[in-house]
Amino acid sequence: MFYFRGCGRWVAASFTKQQFPLARLSSDSAAPRTPHFDVIVIGGGHAGTEAATAAARCGSRTLLLTHRVDTIGQMSCNPSFGGIGKGHLMREVDALDGLCSRICDQSGVHYKVLNRRKGPAVWGLRAQIDRKLYKQNMQKEILNTPLLTVQEGAVEDLILTEPEPEHTGKCRVSGVVLVDGSTVYAESVILTTGTFLRGMIVIGLEMHPAGRLGDHPSIGLAQTLEKLGFVVGRLKTGTPPRIAKDSINFSILNKQTPDNPSVPFSFTNETVWIKPEDQLPCYLTHTNPRVDEIVLKNLHLNSHVKETTRGPRYCPSIESKVLRFPNRLHQVWLEPEGMDSDLIYPQGLSVTLPAELQEKMITCIRGLEKAKVIQPGYGVQYDYLDPRQITPSLETHLVQRLFFAGQINGTTGYEEAAAQGVIAGINASLRVSRKPPFVVSRTEGYIGVLIDDLTTLGTSEPYRMFTSRVEFRLSLRPDNADIRLTLRGYKDAGCVSQQRYERACWMKSSLEEGISVLKFIEFSSSKWKNLIPEVSISTSRSLPVRALDVLKYEEVDMDSLAKAVPEPLKKYTKCRELAERLKIEATYESVLFHQLQEIKGVQQDEALQLPKDIDYLTIRDVSLSHEVREKLHFSRPQTIGAASRIPGVTPAAIINLLRFVKTTQQRQAAMNESPKTDQCLRDADRLQERQL
Amino acid sequence: MWRGLWTLAAQAARGPRRLCTRRSSGAPAPGSGATIFALSSGQGRCGIAVIRTSGPSSGHALRILTAARDLPPARHASLRLLSDPRSGEPLDRALVLWFPGPRSFTGEDCVEFHVHGGPAVVSGVLQALGSVPGLRPAEAGEFTRRAFANGKLNLTEVEGLADLIHAETEAQRRQALRQLDGELGHLCCGWAETLTKALAHVEAYIDFGEDDNLEEGVLEQADVEVRALEVALGAHLQDARRGQRLRSGAHVVVTGPPNAGKSSLGEGAGPSRKPVSIVSPEPGTTRDVLETPVDLAGFPVLLSDTAGLREGVGPVEQEGVRRARDRLEQADLILAMLDASDLASPSSCNFLATVVASVGAQSPSDSSQRLLLVLNKSDLLSRKGPGPRPDLPPHLLLSCLTGEGLDGLLEALRKELAAVCGDPSTGSPLLTRARHQHHLQGCLDALSHYKQSKDLALAAEALRVARGHLTQLTGGGGTEEILDIIFRDFCVGK
Repeated sequence: MFYFRGCGRWVAASFTKQQFPLARLSSDSAAPRTPHFDVIVIGGGHAGTEAATAAARCGSRTLLLTHRVDTIGQMSCNPSFGGIGKGHLMREVDALDGLCSRICDQSGVHYKVLNRRKGPAVWGLRAQIDRKLYKQNMQKEILNTPLLTVQEGAVEDLILTEPEPEHTGKCRVSGVVLVDGSTVYAESVILTTGTFLRGMIVIGLEMHPAGRLGDHPSIGLAQTLEKLGFVVGRLKTGTPPRIAKDSINFSILNKQTPDNPSVPFSFTNETVWIKPEDQLPCYLTHTNPRVDEIVLKNLHLNSHVKETTRGPRYCPSIESKVLRFPNRLHQVWLEPEGMDSDLIYPQGLSVTLPAELQEKMITCIRGLEKAKVIQPGYGVQYDYLDPRQITPSLETHLVQRLFFAGQINGTTGYEEAAAQGVIAGINASLRVSRKPPFVVSRTEGYIGVLIDDLTTLGTSEPYRMFTSRVEFRLSLRPDNADIRLTLRGYKDAGCVSQQRYERACWMKSSLEEGISVLKFIEFSSSKWKNLIPEVSISTSRSLPVRALDVLKYEEVDMDSLAKAVPEPLKKYTKCRELAERLKIEATYESVLFHQLQEIKGVQQDEALQLPKDIDYLTIRDVSLSHEVREKLHFSRPQTIGAASRIPGVTPAAIINLLRFVKTTQQRQAAMNESPKTDQCLRDADRLQERQL
Repeated sequence: MWRGLWTLAAQAARGPRRLCTRRSSGAPAPGSGATIFALSSGQGRCGIAVIRTSGPSSGHALRILTAARDLPPARHASLRLLSDPRSGEPLDRALVLWFPGPRSFTGEDCVEFHVHGGPAVVSGVLQALGSVPGLRPAEAGEFTRRAFANGKLNLTEVEGLADLIHAETEAQRRQALRQLDGELGHLCCGWAETLTKALAHVEAYIDFGEDDNLEEGVLEQADVEVRALEVALGAHLQDARRGQRLRSGAHVVVTGPPNAGKSSLGEGAGPSRKPVSIVSPEPGTTRDVLETPVDLAGFPVLLSDTAGLREGVGPVEQEGVRRARDRLEQADLILAMLDASDLASPSSCNFLATVVASVGAQSPSDSSQRLLLVLNKSDLLSRKGPGPRPDLPPHLLLSCLTGEGLDGLLEALRKELAAVCGDPSTGSPLLTRARHQHHLQGCLDALSHYKQSKDLALAAEALRVARGHLTQLTGGGGTEEILDIIFRDFCVGK
């Protein structure tokens, strides 16, 4: 087994397919032992890479299985990361020491924070990313991760064994079978197959099986999952054509410049790798009625649009935009694909028309009159598994130790995939070491909202993160993701480095100290007016005003406050990040107090665990309607809180469940109190058996 | 653990459309910190009404209403003059009892006000309590739940809790339906719709404003709508007279297939004997819902005579039938009336199979909606006959023509009404009105924060809270509803 340890490093040095050691080892090696890992991750996309590295960070010997090593870290669609809601997810992934934020800080070509004027709770960190750099940096990171081994191979089947009696599920996964018939064993398996499950690419009327342009789909695996009884659905998505950069007339288009200074994604970085003046611009153009005309005239040549497979309610393709919102000009952002890339990605032009019509349509657009399409846009249809079949730790109800993450659960977007990947990786590892699962609640992060929505409500369209999905949006901000998750990630999951943990601890105590100092400093409003003349403090009463309340005003920041009251405030301006975060805390202080109370209530409901092995369809002790039983049976909520969010589960049903939980707890407590009698009974049983 | 469940129960009580919604997006949480109040005595004619409060601000509320510095001695009845804290106007001379926690029913600080039973007094005291900061009307079963949370009830006593909550939420649901049927209901629904749309547009501006092209002026439009809403709400709250007529009393709805003699019964039952409905032998004479407040065996009753339930008739009568079905939903007690001589007809069978069977199918504890099956025109039955049909549920025989069986019916009605009115949560419009006012005021307060906020996330939060208050009255309120509007109104997404 020592052979595999640190294998990642070895692989890094040798980058060609033939040199991968594992496949040969399993067949050629004289040793009869088949390879055995703690965790196997299938898929090297955004969920897979995060899952594999998270499991390895938690201390599990991990194998990443992918069709092709050179596609690890591939950005198959848009050349950008982040955005509103998605940027929040990235900060949380980073708080758990995940990869994508750090890699983006090394690979971006245009950094811009969206929603700057709308309040720090909804700022959306976003960047255009150089595809090649991202892939390179990601592969470097992956291949240098201790305990992580990478192997090429397509998985055809799962190895299933008898279930562990103390857990629910009809069987347990203990490894995978590859296409060449070889087997690899593992304690946990994570599936992050993206759009590869029975993936089908559509251009015009042509359809051919593929997970991504140029890659084979996974069909055997899809059949295995279906045979096991997983409920499978079908979704569609699409990607725009790529245009030759030198065929575009940028001079007549609106230019968008990046932020100066750039804001990094990761808590560990103070700057990004590239100076603002070296970054690339984006350009804006619009569709026009001629585009509408071409789309509408050729609907009969467009099977992706005609298909009944559910697309999202929002508009992923130019066809759906034209159909649902006719006679409008739609934005098209021309985004760079990389520093030395000759391609431009026209965001907003996702299309599945036949290739020649795509070019015809594009040349109608201002600035693109002479545009050359290098790669046509295409649609992808793929299987996803109803996410109500997984727990909040992303383990499946049906198969023990099998985890799903990413698009397989019905989500869309790199960031949503990465977020699930981290959680699946952590939990697959914790499961091996028999530790309790690491679950992020709705009150703790966007990751929690994402997973709770999926596992309790399911989804019928590709699920995308929005800030409006988040009840506690003012508390779950991009700036405080480290306070919310890094400390827990370190203590409960072990996925966070010592250095990051210490930094988060320092930040937490500095913030707390700063806030209490700001609360402590009180002057009359007239004195404040003298100290900071530029702010007009409106107060009807003659009560003293706290420094924290002064900091709420738009015109005031920690610098101006520290100028007015140097002692003791000056020291809080030394760290830029701390000063900015104190300002944000002050902005939301009044609302956060109320929100905190509400959060506590929700957390109490979440703390009430429902028994995992409860059979809702047959249980007699709880009076529940048939409809409620079916709903609970399918979603298998883990807590009273989650049960209460399932539509159709009535308050009376919740009270009944609660009573059931309480009675069960009491019974268990009684059992624990009298272990001796219990033991006596068991001994008596055994005695009887022997006599028989 | 209880806060979330309270919210749930409250949501169920809110509206008929979605019994269990997702967590509403930001209504102020009825946390254990809040102090609740409710009318605890039953409805109907009574000399004394008891109003209870529970929670940390109970003592404060008592001092404010009695304008006293000190609290009365614990667990002793004392006579006090209650006055409205806002106007100083005297409300009533009442007995007050102060139960400091934990030695109280709920384990929290509790106060009981024993006031004179007139609706004006009760309403005045409820509104006065509602104006005290930190106090809000209790949700269904909330006193009991607090008692449980504080260990004042044991587990076996809680077994009844689910039933209780179900019954109370059902009763409140029917009450809410009745209220929403009126002018105020239409207003509330309209306001909630406006607010949801405004919020959806602000949310769209936050989530998609920069990446996608929203139309110009989305935010400005929302601002205008919110300001108009604020004016409307303010005006409504100022003008208390516009508060709708209180439809007090138990709601008894007479229903049945056409020409069973429903309207004739209405004539006979009301002691006033003034003609209520036009009575004729022609089926389908009654087409609208006719409401009469009557005093039945000492209970205030709102008697509704409805159109006979049948399909496939003219549009006017169909509308009458639709209204009749709506009213049936809201009823506390259903008087199901059939023609005893015509039980085999399709309309009778259909009625038995749908209305009677569906109410009868509910277990008695499952819902507090009750039903009395009455077979009219018993005079047409042959004397010797074995009775109408052996498979009928328990029923009463009556002849509106001869008056035979009327006394039996009145006695049965008295029993049912005693059960309905004994439950204080049933149709207590005074409490409902206090709740309305509380949430409308809360909504208005939140809207003022919207105006003040420069930070759009904070502004949206204010709208979320405001909407939370309105959806407490109208139901609905999930995140999906917002997303639906966003995707309907805007072309967004990557």
